[in-house]
Amino acid sequence: MDNQTANSIVGFMMVPLGLLGLLLAARAVDVEMEIFGFGLVVFAFLFGFSTIKRVYDHRDAARAAARKEAGHG
Amino acid sequence: MANVTTGSAPVNYNEEVVRKFIIAAIFWAVVAFAVGCYLAAELTWPELNLGYSFTNFGRLRPVHTSGAIFAFGGSMLFGTSMYVVQRTCQVRLWGGSALANFIFWAFQFFIVMAALSYVMGFSEGREYAEPEWHLDLWLTLIWVLYAIVYIGTIVMRKEPHIYVANWFYLAFILTVAVLHLGNNMAVPVSFFGAKSYSAFAGTQDAMVQWWYGHNAVGFFLTAGFLGMMYYFIPKAANRPVYSYRLSIFHFWSLIFLYIWAGPHHLHYTALPDWTQVLGMTFSIMLWMPSWGGMINGLMTLSGAWDKLRTDPGLRFSVTAVGFYGMSTFEGPVMAIRDVNALSHYTNWTIGHVHSGALGWVAFISFGAIYYLIPVLWKREAMYSVKLISWHYWTATLGIVFYITSMWVAGIMEGLMWRAYDAQGFLQYSFVESVVAVHPFLMIRLFGGLFFLLGALIMVYNVFKTIRGPRSAASMLPNAALAAGE
Repeated sequence: MDNQTANSIVGFMMVPLGLLGLLLAARAVDVEMEIFGFGLVVFAFLFGFSTIKRVYDHRDAARAAARKEAGHG
Repeated sequence: MANVTTGSAPVNYNEEVVRKFIIAAIFWAVVAFAVGCYLAAELTWPELNLGYSFTNFGRLRPVHTSGAIFAFGGSMLFGTSMYVVQRTCQVRLWGGSALANFIFWAFQFFIVMAALSYVMGFSEGREYAEPEWHLDLWLTLIWVLYAIVYIGTIVMRKEPHIYVANWFYLAFILTVAVLHLGNNMAVPVSFFGAKSYSAFAGTQDAMVQWWYGHNAVGFFLTAGFLGMMYYFIPKAANRPVYSYRLSIFHFWSLIFLYIWAGPHHLHYTALPDWTQVLGMTFSIMLWMPSWGGMINGLMTLSGAWDKLRTDPGLRFSVTAVGFYGMSTFEGPVMAIRDVNALSHYTNWTIGHVHSGALGWVAFISFGAIYYLIPVLWKREAMYSVKLISWHYWTATLGIVFYITSMWVAGIMEGLMWRAYDAQGFLQYSFVESVVAVHPFLMIRLFGGLFFLLGALIMVYNVFKTIRGPRSAASMLPNAALAAGE
């Protein structure tokens, strides 16, 4: 499995995890489950977006390295 | 990420996740040691419970134990296993960087959620497995992904041989998975509520709990850290493992024998006698592989003992092996029923646990940290060798204060509880034994503070090392960064 496919799978995994967190927080019968649910939402949101950011950071770095190698840096 | 030339193509190791786990481990170590010191103070002066539910000993105690075992120890095991498997298999961590990153952040999320739930009063009431069912499921997800990444990396390896450290890490990963699933079988009251009830009851529940509890020691705190020993001691000493054959014997005998020893935690209970004797017998048999491993670790220093004078990081690792030998001698002795009749429920057990946790687990981790920090951050060496030495001596002194005070307190308690007068009445009331151990509880706190001070010295040293300049070799373009290889 190449890195990009694996990263995409992990990134998309955040959608069901975040939704599950929302469901748990909305229907929670105690404070522990409410905190866990909201925590899961925040976790999925932050992790999902950081994964997207890392992909673009990586691309930018590769582009910059290629430009440097070509003598335009 | 390091580009390491391995003969054919350079390997682009995923060192980012290892760096994160090592920093997390250092952070959790300080938290766990600080909470431990506060709890030691609470036991000495109960007024420090402060009257709040969340500062109560019962709620803070799992924060300390989970913090030390799972947050600090777990982060060390995740980090070092991911480092070792890549280096010994000569391939990048399988599954992509996002998956490794997920394992890291999901595990940290688990730790924070577990600690929060403890102080809020949510607990399954199972020692070392306190998190409620939803957190258990979250950990199961993390663990399955971790196993997939680890095994995937081994499957993709370029080295034909699987180095022995990987066998120990694999035993840790697979057995902890089985233990976690078995021990945490519970029925939730509601899918939307945290409370659950164990699927077991009575003696069976106690047996499952201690099958898990003892093997958490055996496979989490022993097998995993032995993997660390078999990689980092030879690397730091620059010597091969003393006897590779002995390491294989050590592995198979240890994993076969450990799994049966749990019942020694339930001597003189409703557990059938034969089961208690079985647990005791296997505990005594465990002595052999444990000492075989200890000898193998120590003898790896053959021809390199002089390094102990100049490399205090290696001194940590070697002292850890010494403590491993000591606590794996003490454990089987305490598992003998007649000895256990004296030691059980006393502070001797606390001393025994801490000689293993501080002397073995923490010291072998400190040795690995001092080896890894310059390698992972591409530094020539640690910022200060003198500070490593200071850490070593303060921590060693702390352990000595801790375990000797607990031995004395524990044996004294045990003797006081069983003392009869001429009329056949108990000679001492329980509160008299509490008063008698009070000075030793203070010495224990003193020892814990020394250990915490040592960890803070390490934090400063690590911080200065990371903030320091990169090594000259790492500045070279496409350099074969064979640091540590």
